[in-house]
Amino acid sequence: MKYKFSSSPHLRGNDTTKRIMLDVCLALLPACIAGCLLFGWKALILLAICVATSFASEIIYKLCSKVSLKKALAEFDFTSIVTGLLVGMNLYADSPWYVAVLTCVFAIVVVKMLFGGTGKNVVNPAIAGRIFAFISFGAALGGTFNSNMGFDDVYHVQGPTSVGATVHHVTATPLQYLFGATSELSNWDLLFGTGVNGTIGEVCKLALIIGGLYLVLRNVINWRWPVIYTASMVVLTVCLNKFNFDLAIPSILSGGFVLGAIFMATDYVTTPATKAGNYVYFVFLGLLTALLRHLTQSESVSFAILLGNLIVPLIDSFVINKPFGKVTAKEGK
Amino acid sequence: MKSFRGGTHIPDNKQQTANIPIEIMPVVPDYYVSLAQHIGKPAEPIVEVGQLVKEGELIAKASGFVSANIHSPVCGTIVDIGPYKNATGATTTCIHIKPTGEGTLGYYEPLNDPTAEQIVARIAEAGIVGMGGAGFPTAVKLQPKDKVDTLVINGVECEPYLNCDNRLMLEKPVELLKGIRLIAKALGVSRIYVGIEANKPQAIQTLLAQDGTAPKATEGSTDIVVVPLKTKYPQGAEKTLIYATTKRKVPAGGLPSAVGVVVCNVATAYAVYQAVTLGKPLYERVMTVSGNGIKKPQNLLVRMGTPLKDIVTFCAGLDNCDKLLMGGPMMGKTLVDLSYNLTKTDSGFLALHEDEYVSVLPTACIHCGRCVDVCPMHLEPLYIDFYIQVNDTATAVKYGALDCFECGTCAFVCPARRPLVQSVRLTKQRHREGK
Repeated sequence: MKYKFSSSPHLRGNDTTKRIMLDVCLALLPACIAGCLLFGWKALILLAICVATSFASEIIYKLCSKVSLKKALAEFDFTSIVTGLLVGMNLYADSPWYVAVLTCVFAIVVVKMLFGGTGKNVVNPAIAGRIFAFISFGAALGGTFNSNMGFDDVYHVQGPTSVGATVHHVTATPLQYLFGATSELSNWDLLFGTGVNGTIGEVCKLALIIGGLYLVLRNVINWRWPVIYTASMVVLTVCLNKFNFDLAIPSILSGGFVLGAIFMATDYVTTPATKAGNYVYFVFLGLLTALLRHLTQSESVSFAILLGNLIVPLIDSFVINKPFGKVTAKEGK
Repeated sequence: MKSFRGGTHIPDNKQQTANIPIEIMPVVPDYYVSLAQHIGKPAEPIVEVGQLVKEGELIAKASGFVSANIHSPVCGTIVDIGPYKNATGATTTCIHIKPTGEGTLGYYEPLNDPTAEQIVARIAEAGIVGMGGAGFPTAVKLQPKDKVDTLVINGVECEPYLNCDNRLMLEKPVELLKGIRLIAKALGVSRIYVGIEANKPQAIQTLLAQDGTAPKATEGSTDIVVVPLKTKYPQGAEKTLIYATTKRKVPAGGLPSAVGVVVCNVATAYAVYQAVTLGKPLYERVMTVSGNGIKKPQNLLVRMGTPLKDIVTFCAGLDNCDKLLMGGPMMGKTLVDLSYNLTKTDSGFLALHEDEYVSVLPTACIHCGRCVDVCPMHLEPLYIDFYIQVNDTATAVKYGALDCFECGTCAFVCPARRPLVQSVRLTKQRHREGK
């Protein structure tokens, strides 16, 4: 009889990358469903295109790198589905189909696979995809390049600084609050996404928060990180706006912040490995988001996260855990 | 409840043998007593082939300071002294003894009210080593260079499946406490903690009930504090146990005595009691035989040198077993077959079914940081793994590889099933080789 020979430990936990990514997919579903209810069939079709394209691009990329189809399918770990869903959620419901396809191909092939695939990407593929889409297809998405403000990521800001911007989305946008305009939207509207303009997945904050709670309960993400991100963002926003505390809630519930804070900023691959590093990272993200929003007068969550992603290797090489019982030079004296 | 930072909860699977009383393993036809049952130099045999030996007679002498005596487990004849290969892949010199039936016992003189020096000398004579797994000679441990003020007794038993320490605490509490007080006397300390994981409430209750009754009144000032500890792996590792019970941090690369602590396992304390009070040298121990691959899981009192195949036969044989482990499932070694002879440090033998462990195919690290969160030594296993894979030993060492005691918690929680502990071992080896 032959017995298996291996190195300890012989027990392993139940969590696998695949299971975690499936959990993320499940957590994204409420927001996807809410997006479909708010924007109709075209939202559902767009999400489906994104998921299918992402899945296909990963498999095709692997086939091109001479990985057998069987192995490529065996290696499938739901990360491409997560990216596909997130890209779809970051597009407007009336975006053309080819924007969705190109964005997903960019996110998967350029941002993820060219850097080495799952776990090796430097920036979050969906964030890079969102920025790619809005830089490359601004016109197709509603002419969002604005001479007053430079690049406007998601919203037309109809506040005082942006009068005359090409208006494609006529609904009042919540970010106006931050930039001094008055709006008829209440905080409840912002929470449920009713009457709010935005991308498919970001409008219904309640659904996103429900998904986030699921991830926290499943131990996929640590509740601290979105909370710290939010807190530092709110603090700086309130300070920058002459201590106008009325802005606190709208600043959280506007734009892509909740989606970014719960699902994009917490992506394992692009966050530091240590607890201490994560404190640094999420405080930095919060401050950067508030600052960029203030300076550009537009939605800047995705840019903040992209820049944050880029400094993660730096954080990881400077914030290293002190081993248990390691005596620092000072204590040794 | 007291504990440490890091670690994780691991299904303990102790129910198979938790309530099974210790059974005495009958004498088998052959004993192969290894001369290397401890850390340090192997003992030197002092018997010749053909010689008759008594049960408990000294058959191999400690060779050097860090070494330990070996005693005959039975009355019998020495058949052979030579190298035997065992199923972990190691070859050790063993003394092959054939039992000759009942005979006189070759014990030492029992000691009444011994001095500290007498206790240490007896522990050295009796060949007592750390029975929790490390096998460090106890007599050496009890003569620390630093000043020691606290004795911590390890009754944690955080390895899944194992119950040998648990059963010992339940069945021999009085003897155990006497043994603990003897160790405390040898060290000259009055502060004693017994750390027990909270998943053994019966053991905690038993020791609490015994504590403060018989042994205490006679021996005066020593006071034993039973400390229930949070059920969390690796609670029973030396440094985490010291931190949980005393809040002292053993310096990296240092010994517990650097913070004034000596740690002994409960099985060691029981052996000390037997050696001092009864004069009985260490030649048998309690071990747990468990796992779904064994037909009759139980806790056994086994003599050193007992061949594993006889232990398996006594436990009704193997049943659909895929993996054999000596020790617990987290830090134990796999055996390729049953050619293994029991030593002083073997607390358990497990025969596992395919569905009890996860056969592992690693995928790419997703940088989730769970290994960092659970590491009891606060290291960063993912970077050790990453850098040693690209042959950068120096950076792998920078992330703490040398401080790792290979508890395996990181690999347990890793969703990508990375071979983190193997990477640490590789780093240590490369570092030793100076690469």
